[in-house]
Amino acid sequence: MVDFSWAPRSPLEKALVAGVHGARRIEADVSLTEIRNFDLVQLMARRGKGTDLAKAAKARFGVVPPDAPKVVQTPDATLIWSGPDQFFVLSKGGKHTVRTLAPALSGPASLSDQSHARVLISISGAKARTMLAKLSSIDLHPDAFPVGAAAATSMDHTSVTLWRGNDRTNGQAVFNVLVFATFAESLWHTMLDSGAEYGVAISHSENLA
Amino acid sequence: MAGAQTHRLGNGGLVDRSAPLNFRFDGKAFSGFQGDTLASALIANGVKLVGRSFKYHRPRGILTSGSEEPNALVELRTGARREPNTKATTAELYDGLEAASQNRWPSLRHDVMSVNQLFAPIFVAGFYYKTFMWPAKFWEAIYEPAIRRAAGLGRAAGVADPDHYDKAWAHCDVLIAGSGPTGLAAALAAGRSGARVILCEEDFTLGGRLLSDGGTIDGVPAAEWLSRTLAELADMPDVRIMTRTTLFGVYDGGTYGAIERVNDHLPSPPQHQVRQRLWRIVAKRCVVAAGAIERPIVFAGNDTPGVMMASAIRTYVARYAATPAKRLALFTNNEDGWRTVETALGAGLQIAAVIDARPEISPAHRSLASKGGFPVLHGSVSGVDGGKDGVRKIAVSLTGGARAEVEADGLAVSGGWNPAVGLTSFHRGRPAWRDDISAFVPDGAPPGMVAAGAANGDFGLGACLSQGFAAGAAAARDTGHSGIVGTAPAADDEAFSLTPLWHVAGKGKAFVDYQHDVTASDIELAQREGFESVEHLKRYTTLGMATDQGKTSNVAGLAIMAAVSGRSIPETGTTIYRPPYVPVAIGAFAGHHRDETFHATRLTPSHHWAVEQGAVFVDTGLWKRAQWYPRAGEKDWLESVTREVKAVRSGVGFCDVSTLGKIDVHGPDAGAFLDRVYINTFSSLAVGKARYGLMLREDGIVYDDGTTSRLAEDHYFLTTTTAKAGLVMQHLEFCRQVLFPELDVQLTSVSDQWAQFSIAGPKTRDLLREIVDPSEDLSNEGFPFMGVREVALRGGLRARLFRISFSGEMAFEISVPARFGDAMARNLMLAGAPFGVTPYGTEALGVMRVEKGHIAGPELSGTTTAADLGLGKMMSTKKDYIGRVMAGREALVAPDRQVVVGIRPTDRTRRLRSGAHIIPKGQTPGPGNDQGYVTSVCFSPTLDQWIGLALVERGRERIGEIVHAHDPLRGEDYDVELCNPVFYDPDGGRQRG
Repeated sequence: MVDFSWAPRSPLEKALVAGVHGARRIEADVSLTEIRNFDLVQLMARRGKGTDLAKAAKARFGVVPPDAPKVVQTPDATLIWSGPDQFFVLSKGGKHTVRTLAPALSGPASLSDQSHARVLISISGAKARTMLAKLSSIDLHPDAFPVGAAAATSMDHTSVTLWRGNDRTNGQAVFNVLVFATFAESLWHTMLDSGAEYGVAISHSENLA
Repeated sequence: MAGAQTHRLGNGGLVDRSAPLNFRFDGKAFSGFQGDTLASALIANGVKLVGRSFKYHRPRGILTSGSEEPNALVELRTGARREPNTKATTAELYDGLEAASQNRWPSLRHDVMSVNQLFAPIFVAGFYYKTFMWPAKFWEAIYEPAIRRAAGLGRAAGVADPDHYDKAWAHCDVLIAGSGPTGLAAALAAGRSGARVILCEEDFTLGGRLLSDGGTIDGVPAAEWLSRTLAELADMPDVRIMTRTTLFGVYDGGTYGAIERVNDHLPSPPQHQVRQRLWRIVAKRCVVAAGAIERPIVFAGNDTPGVMMASAIRTYVARYAATPAKRLALFTNNEDGWRTVETALGAGLQIAAVIDARPEISPAHRSLASKGGFPVLHGSVSGVDGGKDGVRKIAVSLTGGARAEVEADGLAVSGGWNPAVGLTSFHRGRPAWRDDISAFVPDGAPPGMVAAGAANGDFGLGACLSQGFAAGAAAARDTGHSGIVGTAPAADDEAFSLTPLWHVAGKGKAFVDYQHDVTASDIELAQREGFESVEHLKRYTTLGMATDQGKTSNVAGLAIMAAVSGRSIPETGTTIYRPPYVPVAIGAFAGHHRDETFHATRLTPSHHWAVEQGAVFVDTGLWKRAQWYPRAGEKDWLESVTREVKAVRSGVGFCDVSTLGKIDVHGPDAGAFLDRVYINTFSSLAVGKARYGLMLREDGIVYDDGTTSRLAEDHYFLTTTTAKAGLVMQHLEFCRQVLFPELDVQLTSVSDQWAQFSIAGPKTRDLLREIVDPSEDLSNEGFPFMGVREVALRGGLRARLFRISFSGEMAFEISVPARFGDAMARNLMLAGAPFGVTPYGTEALGVMRVEKGHIAGPELSGTTTAADLGLGKMMSTKKDYIGRVMAGREALVAPDRQVVVGIRPTDRTRRLRSGAHIIPKGQTPGPGNDQGYVTSVCFSPTLDQWIGLALVERGRERIGEIVHAHDPLRGEDYDVELCNPVFYDPDGGRQRG
């Protein structure tokens, strides 16, 4: 009998080559990090159950889920607005999966597993905004897109969820992009092209930003 | 050593004499300095002749110093980077620049086509329309190709552009077009109030006319004020200054188009950099400080090299320290022109004479003339004696009728100034006429936009500064910024007095539109022939239709039309202004989206595994799908596909079908919702079962099909075709949100969540038993046809298993979370190895579906009904659904509709091709007896012949009939037999077994 191994493979496994892409500088001005192996669940309130879902979510996560294009962070989950009465739960390590959330939340909400449907790319660096201006029509000025702001938008004609995470310790902003998995390699190459003139530091990580 | 820059002043100007640059024009070596344009460098080298005109091939020089230049167009660079119609006046000089003149053969100085001038009397407006009318059939074969060879300016590179372009967005409160005194004052005010400001300047140096005309601002020289102001702006973090960037268009919602020439000033872009970048700027307010364009006066010989705009001469002398002439004459109708005299004298040039069309000149200028020792002639220039070597003599008609001659090697012309009204008029705005300056000024503007300074018709330096400052402050205030702005920079206003003069009668050609060779007499002719409206005038004469869009010619043209038609200029009106304000390379609009990155691509979860297997891929929509997997020794695709089909039919194969659209339908009303969007019923489907469904459009035509499974009471898993995945999701969301808001149902796309593989063939269970946990019952009883459930796999993963078949074989589809798709493909190969498992691509998939008579894209063509597809019985009569009523329309239920039927050639060896038309046997093909067409064909390895599906009138009643297939596209005619579309296993025993 054959031994079957089921190693997950990121859609960016092939395209992501850790190191520096494009212009060689002392420090690359854009950094692209793929965050691997996360759990992502889409919650949509059942008809007329928006308030019930908010309450149930508050009980489960300790915070009220966002009711506008924003994210709300808890120590072990990020709740990301995705539309009226719906949001994503992004987490690690199996704490918040469809299976674990269903008992508390499947009454007021429909749950759909999106963990494999998206690729998560974290973008930072001195030229992160400059590079993202080539891809996104969203105004990312600190006043217009503060920490915690989110947008359901498109990049390179591809639907994405974009939000600003907590700043890095050096004060640089961090932008997170969830892109559909089958589009990820294509968008990745567009990002590399867009960032090449600034130098792109490429890596992947298991840790959520 | 290249040329000696014979016409360069010893000092002054904004060129860097410590940075000499070598360049070539028409192969000849020259040198210039950092800070030059190609035009200023040519002038510094005494070059006057730079091109030949479009129609008459007349020798032309440099007319202006900016982006309005109609004459000095060159081919810049060589090889793949050759760029025709580049304005020498805006092309920045770089070391090694190569440029060539255009529209001449064999050389600029000896141009054969200049004989066109001899035929000038026949090359008048409307020449083509009048001459090439007859015989009509000559047009395509003879006239047009000949005209095309002779016409056109410059040569395209003819090969792919090696450079990269990109696009970017920018956002601001206040957008400012232009960095002259108006724009800088606006930026100061807006920046100080705390607004986010973007200032676009098309030049590579900031300052606008301050760089050429100087002046005193706040009591200090303009240059000092300029550096102080730029330093202050540079310290404001939210003020962004973009040089080499032209605002070219105004779009809806405060969106502006701008083109940044990022690296046009270098021989080629540095590694990883783009040549140009297209900006979409979203701005709450816009201040147009784009200045004004000095206008020529139309007189005979006004296109002679050496005749230049007066302000351009000031620019070349003051900014570039280059002298276009040694002995200069000025022809002006206004006070401003005289500033050129001051600049020229200051640089040590001789003034031959000033020809002033006004009745009076100021005492100051009169004393300047006597001090400078040159005459002031009251009158107009009526002719220029000169040619390709420049101006020699100028003929003057003096007021009162006498004539005079002036010897000079250059003539500065000032006919007044036209505010740059392009941006303010782009939303169909019509500028208004202002008598005191004899010019059109903005009359309103697109929402959020305002013009200030010279662009608004107020030319004085003081007015520019105060208007710009006020406009910048107001724009900042309007966007909620109220910081302290301080006081506006102050300066005196220069005197401005002008006597309108558009056209001086005289012998010889007098050009209005230099670039399109439109003369004053062409406009008069157009009027005589009835083309009096400005829009007709434009199209009949091509006035203002060249790459400069008539920046120096439109107003003069319509002034001449006004005069000959006896109307005023405002009555004559202006043509419609449209973007782009300057030509923009198509490459910039394309940006990243060219070649293999023309559009985004989607890759299946097993894509890279398929690449390793050597698969050939096909583009289906955005997807790359494995089309077939060639093996060594196979001579063509058919051999590979035939092998794959046979392997499935006799053993087992698998195919990645993850491209199908997948939608989670949740909620207590999910079943009721599906009943309304499908023609058949889903609320009655048992949990753990799948059912094939068909959707109609509102008009009763089939929209899409697919298998939908019930995973739980309140959870269905719906699949769509690959092509319609996104559209069906949109359609269902529309149904949910708009049509049936009362239903409690939620939709989520899970297309990318699942990797799904079809496993097919009689040995499917053998393969699955290897990979599925032994506790799972896969027998016909334990897992019946159309059954669905989650199963455990060996190695710990869980999968969804669907017993559905598209191939007609015993088959399952297995689905795992997408990141396990690659492992699934590899594990299926391992598990199937003992059974000769064969991966197959979309071609084999297609062959098997045709053999089985399954419909797909070619049959779901947007014209077929459920009954046409043989699925009429699925249309429920017990419920309502989308498309039900309209599907009952007479024509959609007519008995003679074309319906799906199988075909096979009567000659078993013949190849079929889709697209052939079906004609009754024995009849002559034609639209009158066309009975349908072939939709899908394949070579069936199972039947060892070509077979197909066709849409044929009353096809199902005609099984067994021999009809004629007529294929005029490929010149083929042959007979086919109409047959049951299910060629393979018609009773379905194999897929149920």
